[in-house]
Order: sequence, then C-alpha cells, then structure tokens
Amino acid sequence: MNDSTAVTDAISKSGGGDERLAYRSIFQRMFIQPEIGAIIGVIGVWAFFWAVSLNFGTAGQTQNWLDTASTLGIMAVAVSMLMIGGEFDLSSGANTGAMGILFILLIKETGDLGGLGLSIWIAVPISFAVAMGIGYFNGWMVERTALPSFIVTLATFFILRGLKLGLAKLLTGQISVTFTNDASGYDFFRPIFAGVWQRNEHIWNSRDVFYLGGLILGAVLITLAVSEMHFVRRSTKSAAGLPIFGIGAAGLVAAIVVMHSTDGTGANILAAAILGVSVLVGLFGFASWRFEPVGSAGSLRLTSGITTYLGAGLAAVAAACVCSFVIDSDNAETLFFPFTVQGLRVVLMMIFAGAGFTLLMIAANRALRVNPTTKLVVSAITAAALVAFAFVIQASAEDPKFRTELFSALLFGALALTVWSILGLRFAERRKVDPAGDRLGIQALILGFGLIVFAIVIRHLFVTDDELLAEVNPAKFSVRMLWFFGFTAVMVWILARTRFGSWTFAVGGNKEAARQVGVPAARTKTQLFMIVSGAAWLVGMLLAFRLNSLQAGAGDGEEFEYIIAAVVGGTMLTGGYGTALGAAFGAAIMAMSLVGIQAARWNTDWRFVFLGVILLLAVIANRFIRDKAEAAGRR
Amino acid sequence: MAEQNLLELDNISKFYGNIIALEGVSTVVNAGEVTCVLGDNGAGKSTFIKILAGVHQQSEGTIRLNGEEVSFGSPRDALSAGIATVYQDLAMVPLMSVWRNFFLGSEPTKSLGPIKWIDQGKAKKIAKEEMAKMGIDIRDTEQAVGTLSGGERQSVAIARAGYFGAKVLILDEPTSALGVKQSGVVLKRIVEARNQGLAVIFITHNPRHAYPVGNRFLILNRGKSMGSFAKDEITIDELTQLMAGGAELEALEHELAEATAD
Repeated sequence: MNDSTAVTDAISKSGGGDERLAYRSIFQRMFIQPEIGAIIGVIGVWAFFWAVSLNFGTAGQTQNWLDTASTLGIMAVAVSMLMIGGEFDLSSGANTGAMGILFILLIKETGDLGGLGLSIWIAVPISFAVAMGIGYFNGWMVERTALPSFIVTLATFFILRGLKLGLAKLLTGQISVTFTNDASGYDFFRPIFAGVWQRNEHIWNSRDVFYLGGLILGAVLITLAVSEMHFVRRSTKSAAGLPIFGIGAAGLVAAIVVMHSTDGTGANILAAAILGVSVLVGLFGFASWRFEPVGSAGSLRLTSGITTYLGAGLAAVAAACVCSFVIDSDNAETLFFPFTVQGLRVVLMMIFAGAGFTLLMIAANRALRVNPTTKLVVSAITAAALVAFAFVIQASAEDPKFRTELFSALLFGALALTVWSILGLRFAERRKVDPAGDRLGIQALILGFGLIVFAIVIRHLFVTDDELLAEVNPAKFSVRMLWFFGFTAVMVWILARTRFGSWTFAVGGNKEAARQVGVPAARTKTQLFMIVSGAAWLVGMLLAFRLNSLQAGAGDGEEFEYIIAAVVGGTMLTGGYGTALGAAFGAAIMAMSLVGIQAARWNTDWRFVFLGVILLLAVIANRFIRDKAEAAGRR
Repeated sequence: MAEQNLLELDNISKFYGNIIALEGVSTVVNAGEVTCVLGDNGAGKSTFIKILAGVHQQSEGTIRLNGEEVSFGSPRDALSAGIATVYQDLAMVPLMSVWRNFFLGSEPTKSLGPIKWIDQGKAKKIAKEEMAKMGIDIRDTEQAVGTLSGGERQSVAIARAGYFGAKVLILDEPTSALGVKQSGVVLKRIVEARNQGLAVIFITHNPRHAYPVGNRFLILNRGKSMGSFAKDEITIDELTQLMAGGAELEALEHELAEATAD
C-alpha cells in the first residue's frame, strides 16, 4: 500500500502532468488533431481556386459555396455521427426531398389539385414528427432484424423515393410540387428558413479599419499564444522586457494607421516596414518579459541532410519563378480543353512553390534538431526565398489580388519565420508540460481566432461606398448558413461533452462491450438514426422555403455525398472514430470544389475527377494522422 | 455459524437438457479473500461464472449473499447486488480514452437546467486516482485503451469494477492471454483488490498463477467439484494433481520441475 500512496502523492504534486510522458510541443499536438487533415484541405482547396479563378475569393462566390456547403454540411454532420455509431443511412438523401414534399403537400391549398391546406404552424410539427418516425423506424428495423443498416436503409430509400414520385403525381398530377405565399404562418416561417442578408444594402464605410485591425490583432494574439505554449516561462517575470513590448505594440498601431490613412503602394511598403520592425521588437520584448533565456545557441553546423533539402527546395522555388516569367499569359488563350495558359501557369507555379517551400521546411526542421543557430540560418534562407518569390509574383502578375494580397501574405510569412527563429536563438523551448501556460495560451488562441473570424465575417457582410461605385456583384447570405453553423456547434458539443456522445463512440467502437457495462446500445443507435432524419427534415424545410417548390427527385442519390464529406472530414467507415467538425469541413471542401470549378470556368464534368482525387488524398492523409496520433499515445 | 460468509454456494448444479454441465459444486467466498476456481478446459468453469454473473440460472442448489438466498435473473441483477464480472474480452472500447472507458455507462454529469454534460475534470481525476490505488500510474487518461498493454487493460477493468461498488469481483481467465510479466502485473492487481476488501473469484487453468494469490481453491473436473480447500489444507502439487485428475501427471511434474528451477 505504500507504493500507491506514494503514487497518489506524486499525481497531486505534478498537477496533472506526468514526467514519463514524452513532451509534445504545441505544433506536434496540433498536428495529431483528427480534424487537421480537413482544415488543411479547406485552406488548400480555397487557395487553389482563389489562385486559378477570377473571382473565387469575392463575397459573391463565398456566398455561393457556403450555400451549397450548408445543406450538404448539415447532413454530413448528422451522417458522420451515425457513422461514428457504426451505422449508415442510405435513405438520408431521399429523406431531405421527402420531408420538403410532405411539407408542401400538407400546406398546399385544397383548391387546386391535392394538398391539405393546413396552416404552416401545424404542418411544421407534423412533418417533424414524421421525420422522427422515419428515423425511429430505421433504427428499430436495424436493431430488431440485426440486418446491416446498409440493407435496411436501402429499402427505406426506395420506399421514400417511390412515395415521393407516386404521391406527387397522384395528388397534383405533376412531378414537382409548389405552394403559394398565402398559407397562414408564411410570413413568420419564411425568414426563419429562407431569410437573406443583402450585402449591398448594408453600407459600412469604416469596415476596413475593423477588418484590418481584427486580422492583425488576431494574428498577433495567436503569435503570442503560440509563444506562450512553446517557450519555457520564467518563474519571476522580468519587467525590463515590458517597455520594449510597449514600443512594439505602439509601432503596430502606427503601422495600421499608416496603412489605412494613405492610399497607394509606396505608403503600403512604409506601413509594411513599420509593421515588420514592430512585430520583431514587440515579440522580443514580450519574450524577454515572460520567457527563460537559453544558455547557448551553438554554432552553425550544416549536415548533408540539411543541405540536400535546402538545395532541392531552392531549386524548386527558382523553377516556380522561372515559370512565372517564361509562360506568356498576356493572351490567356485556351491551352487545351479545360485549361487556359493562365491557369496552367498558376498550377505549375503552385506545384513548384509548394514543393519548394515544403522541402525548405523539412530542412528547417532538421536544422532545429542540430541547434538554434543552424535553424536561424536555414530559416533566414527560406525567408529570403519567400521574399524573392513575392517580388517575382508582383513583377509578373497582372491581377491585383496577386500583386497585393498574395505579395503581402508571402512577406508576412517571411517575417513570421525570421522572428520565430530569432526568438528560438535567444529563448529556451519548452521540454515539459506546463498546464498553466497552456491554459492561458489556449484562451488567447481562441480570442485570436475569434478576431480573425470577426474580421472575415464583417468583410463579407458589409460593403463600402467605394465598392458600390465599382459595382461589386451583389451577395445574398442565406439564413441557412446560421442553421449549418448552429447545428454543427451543437453536434460537436454533444459528441465531445455528453454521455450520449460517449455512448455514440462506444456503440460504434465495440457494441458488445458497451452493452456489458450498461450502455443502452439499441436506444443510442435509434436516436442517432433520428438525428439524421431530423437533419433531413431541417434540410427539407430549407429547400422548400427557398423556391416554394420541389422536384420529386430532390435529394435522391446525395446520401453518398454526405458519406464522402464525413470521410473526407476524418470519420472512419468502420465506426468508432471521427469528428462532427471534420465532417463540416469536409462538406466545405466539396462545396468549394463544385463552385470553384465553375468559377474557374472549367467544364463542370471535371468536378468528379476533382472529387475523386480529394477523397483519395483525404483518406490517405487521415490514415497518416491517425497512425501518428496512435503512435503518440503509445509512447 | 459464528461468522457469516459473504457469498455461499451450496450444491450448485446446471443441466442443459440431458447434459450435466455442473454438478454439486459448493464453496464460500469472503471479503478480503481470493477464491480460485481451477479446472482444465471443459471442466465447467464458464458455466460456474455465468451462473454467478446472472447470465444463466442454476438448475439445483442455492446461492446465499450475506446469508440471504438470492437468484439473479439477469447480468444487471448480479451487478446491482455487487457482483461484477470482468470477462476475457474485457468490455473495453479500444479507440476510446482510458477515462471514457472507465466511466462508460455511468459517467458523472454536471447540469444546468435540463442540459446535462459529463464532468470531465472529475472523471479524469477519479480515473487516475483509482488506477493509482491499484498501483498503476496511468500516464495520460486521454490515451486510447487500444494503446495500453493487455495487463494494463485488465487493470482498468478491475479498477472500474472496484470503483463502482462491486463487493465480489469475478475475473474470467485474466492471465490466459498474457505473457509472463503481464501475468505478474495482473496477479499484483488481484492482491491489491483483495487488500482493498473485495472478494475476488479468480478463474484460471494455471495452478502456478492461482496458488500464490489464492486463499481458497475450488477444483472442477468434468463438471464435478473435486473439493474446496483452504490454502493450508493443500499444497501446489496436490492442487495440480487434483486438477488434472492424475492423467497428465508426469508431464506436469516435468513442467513444475522447470518452474522451480527458474
């Protein structure tokens, strides 16, 4: 018994940490999150279409793909939960259309053919009850017959599909059903399910101050948060660093003011210079205030591994630069069927640059294992390559988005890399867990991401007078996006925090074991089927209110898109593993590729090739991440 | 009787149709003691636990818990009477974390009005403490159970049964799938559970595992009880001999000679 009391003491002393766990740095911890693959995918696919199309980054296009992502995402999130619980629902696609059609038939006037002429106030709960009934039926059949859910829900799919067609034709004589605006309750429910935000009606001229401020403050907060979680924190803070930190912060404010109050590239370079210097000074002040300095940084030592990667990386970046000058894009002729010369140039540049900077990052990572000085030298070379690449792009690109936005982003990347390596030279990196530092860091991280999201949201929701004069395309943001975000947030919380969420993982992972310890396995699975059916009802409402009419075939066959989105988001096909947030990102990736291919003016038939490639890449990446995560757990 | 036994089994028999699976088995189980049930394959060990765990009902005989006659209609009955069974397949979900597995089905919750959620801080802390009481210092309760070793998984299952108020802990062949070192770990856990005042029923076919930890030995052979002995009434050689029914005695003696040489 002496042993165990000693162990309990040790636990209470260490405050949750455990000295036998190999320390995982903030970057390693980030990398093994199950959603990371989908998040990188979202950023990658967005960047790809932003670069190859004319207008993918505009508010109008964002509205386009978010609109598609919303209905797809609501279903993908629900389906991913069911898949985590170890089942499939092939009727989910047909169910969305069925609920919409049922609803329309309930409220359609009796005057023309068919329809019950009910109030919407009654039709909404009735159709919801029917949806719950369908979910319950699916769950009950699967549990009672012990047949695979694939077969049971395939049967439900055919029944629903037939009922939709049959009833629509029998009652209205047509294969599409329509209702008019005069049903009672329409004015109340229409804004709930199909309200829109007209961007061009909301003018906010000082929007960009808040946009830029939010972005920069958010980025600064994230940087501080990551440092807080990466370096060894001093036990007693050194106040000498505070004034330096203050100077940096003041410089940052000055940079924002200069950037906003002047127009034209000359002033922007001045602002960028102030920004760069103040970030360096401020972060250095912050670090000497809070972090433990390192003893010795060591001297430069380039191993053969580092030089190989460094050389290959620089060569690839050089190739990217050459591409941008050699391929003539002025005429933007069609090269072959789906691609233009402009598109080819961008794709080649992206491939070379992507490969080049990946190789340089590998070199930097290897250098880190040697010593901080070597890391600084390799990072400085990488930063120089980034700066060179930025100027090449500015010189060769016509489009203002490359000339300013990408240019600034690349310069900012070079700055971040340099500052980070200089900090690494001077301050000790953490080698053991520090829960207090992590807590503070995570709070700042959330605040920082919140600010960036706020900045992006206001930029999309409001116009300035200048933009109106330039006649930007009108964007209409539908309330369905709020349904998507809200539904995803609730489901993520349920999966991670509630007993039902825990039971969902358990019945998918090992149903017998779950049952033995008292988890109501049959009830949990039935409730999961009901969640999917409830989501289908919600999507049915969103579809019905958008156009006041629905085709009988609406939703048929989309169930596989839900499953693909869930799998792209990291949900395992065999159950027991996955995340709802990942499924939402998976839906965003799919919606972006559908809309992006149109924005890039490619033939839309190519979307299937694109989807196939994404699915394959996602599955491989998720497998890799899961293996990494498990290996990390085993250590 | 002056002192009352926690669990008493009197003349238990089980028939499946005309097949006699178990006949006339009697033994006692006490708090803070380990009762080992030994027998070769087909000796009736599985039938014996299934009756105790409430999966099957005995055809004849009586079970007394704290002196009162009881009958378990389902595994849930047995569990609520304080008899927890740790099966060989462990009842664990490999992809889930240690703390989630520990509390699976009985998660502690916090609530705000009708909204309830798992009290994660409390669950993680308790899981870690309970494992520590068993002498296992789990590194990280967020670790997936699938990444634990076989012995550690058994320890999670044993700690869980103890925490949820089991008075009698039935372990079904906990060492059979484990290596030598891992078996040692599990045997240590059994002793820990006993020291905490649990009555342990340890089912095994390995007398070398049973003898060092057991206080009482029930030997089954071909469905019949070969007797129930206290530790001072029997030696390990006699135990082995009874278990094998004298059949493969020479081979066993050989094996034991090697064992003593270790």
